[in-house]
Amino acid sequence: MKGFSNRWKDFPDYILGITKEIWEDRGIATLDHYYARDIPVRTPMGLARGNQATIASTMATISEFPDRQLYGEDVIWSGDDKDGYLSSHRLITTATHSHDGVFGPASGRRFAIRVIADCAAKEDVIFDEWLVRDYGGIVRQLGMEPRAYAQSLIRDEGGPEKASKPFTPAIDEQGPYKGTGNDNQWGKRYADTLTRIMDKDFTHILTHYDRAAIAEFPGARTVIGHREISESWLRLRSAFPSATFRIHHRIGMDADMMPHRAAIRWSLDGTHDGWGAFGRPTGAPVHVMGICHAEYGPYGPEGVGLRREYILYDEIAIWKQILIHAGDI
Amino acid sequence: MKGFDPKWRDVPHFIIGITKEIWEDREIGSLRRRYAPGLIVRSPASVVVDNTRVIAATMATLAEFPDRELPGEDVIWCEDPARSTEETDAFLSSHRLICWATHSRPGMYGAPTGKRVTYRILADCALRSDAIYDEWLVRDQAAIVRQMGFDVEDWTRDLIAREGGPQNCVQPMTPENDVAGPYDGRGNDNEWGARLADILGRIMAAEMDVIPKSYDRAANLHHPGGKDVFGRAEADQFWMGLRAAFPDAEFRIDHVIGRDDLLMPPRAAVRWSLWGKHAGWGRFGRPTGAQVYVMGITHAEFGPFGADGGPVIRNEFTLIDETAIWKQILLQTGQHE
Repeated sequence: MKGFSNRWKDFPDYILGITKEIWEDRGIATLDHYYARDIPVRTPMGLARGNQATIASTMATISEFPDRQLYGEDVIWSGDDKDGYLSSHRLITTATHSHDGVFGPASGRRFAIRVIADCAAKEDVIFDEWLVRDYGGIVRQLGMEPRAYAQSLIRDEGGPEKASKPFTPAIDEQGPYKGTGNDNQWGKRYADTLTRIMDKDFTHILTHYDRAAIAEFPGARTVIGHREISESWLRLRSAFPSATFRIHHRIGMDADMMPHRAAIRWSLDGTHDGWGAFGRPTGAPVHVMGICHAEYGPYGPEGVGLRREYILYDEIAIWKQILIHAGDI
Repeated sequence: MKGFDPKWRDVPHFIIGITKEIWEDREIGSLRRRYAPGLIVRSPASVVVDNTRVIAATMATLAEFPDRELPGEDVIWCEDPARSTEETDAFLSSHRLICWATHSRPGMYGAPTGKRVTYRILADCALRSDAIYDEWLVRDQAAIVRQMGFDVEDWTRDLIAREGGPQNCVQPMTPENDVAGPYDGRGNDNEWGARLADILGRIMAAEMDVIPKSYDRAANLHHPGGKDVFGRAEADQFWMGLRAAFPDAEFRIDHVIGRDDLLMPPRAAVRWSLWGKHAGWGRFGRPTGAQVYVMGITHAEFGPFGADGGPVIRNEFTLIDETAIWKQILLQTGQHE
């Protein structure tokens, strides 16, 4: 932990600690220290540059959801002092929609969703970031539908021509972090599973997941049992049957007290040319940024089964790409 | 696994395996050998003695829910040296199941609702000689009833009527109608069981400040009524609401298991009970003074993200049967009409 403040006992402690300090304890100004001046932050909705953009969006979020809590559920990490650490940080965030904002007039409704943030850190500073939050989960719990919400978002931004474009590789900028994770067997195992699923081997889920596996899908949907999990993965793949699947970052961990686990950042890049989770095929070019976490247990073939899975991609960003292409607002 | 069919590798394999064979593969008749003669099955709803009635109850459930599946989510177990012999090893298994089924035929829950229900069961079974010979089981009846679209209290009132009224209906389990069985073990001495028992004991002693110290900020909680919630405030609300309803009831830790297994986080299974008056406002509405028995089972998985870097509860699964509690309240207050 060279160059990190000695208040942190280890890397997860740093990640959990600064998250609380910045967002819950309102140390927003500390972003000037903790976030690099020109940090690229990629989300499915776009690319933002620099800590001042993060500070502005943080204040907007807190203004709309003043009681927002961020519970760090896990930190799956790799790396070292020399090249930087990469933390794949899973959070549960809960809040009340108390003031008007990007989600419309204050509804007074509460939501609980998950977010996974992949952050690269070196010498006490976050310098590169990829973040996927369950935007569809917020929208649904606030009483709206993802498709209709994406339509209204495009309208509010001035129509399909003017609306800000969701993230695609074309607008990406290479950041300072160039790592791809580690070679731990649990990361490799989960990478193999996701690759098989994206190769349409949905039987793999029936044979290699715990029968009682629980998966948390976008839309804040808890899916129980390997059969329904298989169906939920199929509905995503089926909407983009010819898209190219890539794994960008892969971490496995077997640290004490936690189950063996993995964190993988991936993408699907192609066209919306099938019936599935996103309605009538439109031929829209779509990029899906995904981050998934998995935990393993002993209940499965040869004494290993996937027991918990956390799947994050952004339904709103997908609908936005589809609707901008179709001009259907 | 001396004394058991050699096809079973270990206790989880045996428990998960026979559960599937009996319920999903329909080997219901095998209960005659897999449940020992005179087996006592205690649940909050009833005390059932002898395995022919278990077979009848199994068939009744499958008649009502023909497509029921019940995969095992975990088995937290311990050795039972006191009842091991030359012929057989002995164990106590605390089995957590997730069940899903369609309510497609009439039965104990009333006319079929067509609803798909998902709920958990926690079952403590004593095993030896390839059979289960003593059992304590808590099913999340409130989750089932709510998913069918009923109010738990109203459904329980109807149940009393369907069972023939207060005189004839099935009596919920209490220490007064419980039947002592052959298993009188208390579990094992593993530190994780002791830790969970200590946390529950402090909560029941109203030391609610133990919750922020002992639960992960992001703890996933699976509570009765099929409630899946997060965090310390929700833990506080559940336990506070329960204890507040029975503020003077005697709290007992009846059985404690802790385990460190490869591929699983450190974890624990504790069976506990409350026995006393419904004397406070809390989870069960206006205090009625009814004398109530609550059998609860809690499973917990520990993780490393405590405030002081110490171990804290990351996943908790607690079941009580709220219909059995309402039944006791309604029967004693005459509010069953």
